[in-house]
Amino acid sequence: MLFNSLEFAVFFPVVATLYFLSPFHWRTPLLLVASCAFYMAFIPAYILILGVTIVVDYTAGIYLERTHGRRRLALLWVSVAITCLVLFIFKYFNFFTDTFLGIATHFGWQPTNPSLDIILPIGLSFHTFQSLSYVFEVYRGRQRAEHDFTTYATYVMFFPQLVAGPIERPQNLLPEFHERHYFDYVRVTSGLKRMAWGFFKKLVVADRLALYVNDVYSAPQEYNGLQLTIATFFFAYQIYCDFSGYSDIAIGSARVLGFRLMENFETPYHSASISEFWRRWHISLSTWFRDYVYFPLGGNRVKPARWFTNILLTFGISGLWHGANWTYVVWGLLNGFYLIAGTLLQPLRQRIAALCRLPERNPIRLSVGVVTTFGLVCIAWVFFRAPTLADAFYIFSHMWRDWDFSDIGTEQFLLRQMPLAIAAILLLEAGEWLRRRMPLGEIIPRFPMPVRWFCYATALMVVVMFGVYSKSQFIYFQF
Amino acid sequence: MPSSLVTSHGRHPTSTALLKIASFCGLFISLLYLTDAMIGAGLRRIKTSAFGVNNQIMGGQVNADIIISGSSRALTHYDPRIIQEQTGHSAFNIGRNGSQTDMQLAFLKAYLNYNRAPRLVIHNLDLFSFVSSKEIYDAVQYIPYIRDDAIFAGIQRVYPDAWKWKWLPLYGYLVEDMRFTWVRGLRALTGWQPPEDHFFGYQPRHIAWTNEFDEFRIKNPDGVRFPIEPAAVQDLTDLVELCSQHGIALLFVYSPEYAEMQTLERNREEIFSRLHALCARYNVPLWDYSDSPLTKNQMYFYNSQHLNATGASAFSRALAERLDASGLLP
Repeated sequence: MLFNSLEFAVFFPVVATLYFLSPFHWRTPLLLVASCAFYMAFIPAYILILGVTIVVDYTAGIYLERTHGRRRLALLWVSVAITCLVLFIFKYFNFFTDTFLGIATHFGWQPTNPSLDIILPIGLSFHTFQSLSYVFEVYRGRQRAEHDFTTYATYVMFFPQLVAGPIERPQNLLPEFHERHYFDYVRVTSGLKRMAWGFFKKLVVADRLALYVNDVYSAPQEYNGLQLTIATFFFAYQIYCDFSGYSDIAIGSARVLGFRLMENFETPYHSASISEFWRRWHISLSTWFRDYVYFPLGGNRVKPARWFTNILLTFGISGLWHGANWTYVVWGLLNGFYLIAGTLLQPLRQRIAALCRLPERNPIRLSVGVVTTFGLVCIAWVFFRAPTLADAFYIFSHMWRDWDFSDIGTEQFLLRQMPLAIAAILLLEAGEWLRRRMPLGEIIPRFPMPVRWFCYATALMVVVMFGVYSKSQFIYFQF
Repeated sequence: MPSSLVTSHGRHPTSTALLKIASFCGLFISLLYLTDAMIGAGLRRIKTSAFGVNNQIMGGQVNADIIISGSSRALTHYDPRIIQEQTGHSAFNIGRNGSQTDMQLAFLKAYLNYNRAPRLVIHNLDLFSFVSSKEIYDAVQYIPYIRDDAIFAGIQRVYPDAWKWKWLPLYGYLVEDMRFTWVRGLRALTGWQPPEDHFFGYQPRHIAWTNEFDEFRIKNPDGVRFPIEPAAVQDLTDLVELCSQHGIALLFVYSPEYAEMQTLERNREEIFSRLHALCARYNVPLWDYSDSPLTKNQMYFYNSQHLNATGASAFSRALAERLDASGLLP
């Protein structure tokens, strides 16, 4: 079920009402049933795949707590292998066989193609990683095994974050299923406001920009350099608003029910360096890779060559996590190179700043940092969005030439939509700036009710009237 | 009251809190319905453009002697001013862009619900006459009139979820339309009118020959076949019977189509044989302009299916003269 669907507009109020009307001990089973219904709205049979992961990791968690030594390690690997096998079959099998066939054909061997004709279960990478984090944490002794199957299944399947995160840690989310959540007006309305902000990002910004981006990136050869540049700039905002919008709706809807999900984005495009960007972009995934891949590899407490290898390996795997395509791997590796280059060039950057008498928090220095970081991120997004590496290189080679200011629109996105798209981006930036600097959440509730309601109704009407309702999925669902 | 509904800190008694949330939701939903009503009212006040034509029809202000129905080929080929001048009978064009026989029938029914029955219906045919709609083209043109039974039934056949257009506020204007037609509705409430581009329902296209046909020919070097769907055959039959029930004379016309395109239509003969059979069965005349001298001259077309304004004038004059001499109009 999509958050931006009529079904969800009915589903969520019904579930929330039933949730608060139910006795406390019925609530987790209710959430599990609701989550199953939510997931089965996509492809019902795929719930069985999710079931396999849940049963394996639930059982593994209990036995990990009981066993010691090498058996314990073996149990961990069995559990991880089975969980990852599901991910491999559905997400990576065709990618690896196609790559292998390509290499084999290059050397004159013509093996039969064993490709599987299957659709990737929605959000598979997200709940796989959430399951894995549980097993890792139990193995490390930082989380007690959950013995109540319903609670564990609901932890993996909790519908607000089931298909696109945030990827929660068991320490954060599991205890919440054992807490009593009362109906709290302030919390409920705060959750609803957060959802509304998410809908603004998704419907008004992301899906409007998607009209342009989809046209250009589906056939880059048909567009001039200016259109390629605009599409890349728009994609940066599209993917941010699409994914952070999803996270806002997830966090908001969970908050309505009384759950606190972790923050996933902190205005990442306001970062002054790539390392800062990755501390503020998809935080739940970045910290997952940091804790379960980068640190176990040795992190930065090794020799520089090994350290840089660790960075590249982590970002390469992160790229592959996003999709079974070389474009994602290149995107990941490019970000890794950015980080390494940023580390190596740091002394030089500091020397230049000192020569220019620009201290750390100087606005000019910060602005240069923010603009440079945004530019580098946009360059990387080209690989992320382009269907093939050839398309990505075509876009790079043509982005800078043949700018035709008389030909800016596309088939789906006529020129007259441009002011609306730009206004949406400016409104987003203004909204984010206000949220960081002015506690609007505290100021508006102090207004008299008619003024307050007028503000809320106007904001909602902007979302309703200027949204795009093309039944589009969230981009991160495919991962 | 379940214990879970008691607030944890007592700042807002739960019943008051629930009442406030419910009140806001109620007010907001009312605002959605109000906005929907305002947009609809605005669009129904438009006197020019395609909405102006629809408003004349749905407002019962047409009452013409001759009605021209059909697809975009009807809309752009028949100039009622020329027909009226030649025959002395009032004429009006209710052709619909991107429509198939099912929606053309629905709109003719709606016309008859609000206007005096015409003496003659000229129904323009094309190779899609036996194809049912797979989608509603430019759906927003129907939304202000969605409560009309004939239009709603026509749409619902194609799109079973059409109840959402009818009952959910703003759904039709926001979900089914990407061109901000709602802005035009709100502007029209202030007295604004869009530029006029329709004349008695006819929309002249002042366009020279485009390269659409050349692209089509490259993509389809072996030509194309057009389906003959039983549902669409039934719709055309229903249209004949509708006219018969209302005592309206019916004339089928196959207006000019670019000659080279005709050679690419693989089952043209089959379609025409079905059309002739239907006409013979119900004794409806069919005037076929496939061999008209107009069909051989690109100057009269802007693509293979559509005459431009020059071609439409020439065709309308020829048709009006023939009509005048035919005795079809008492």
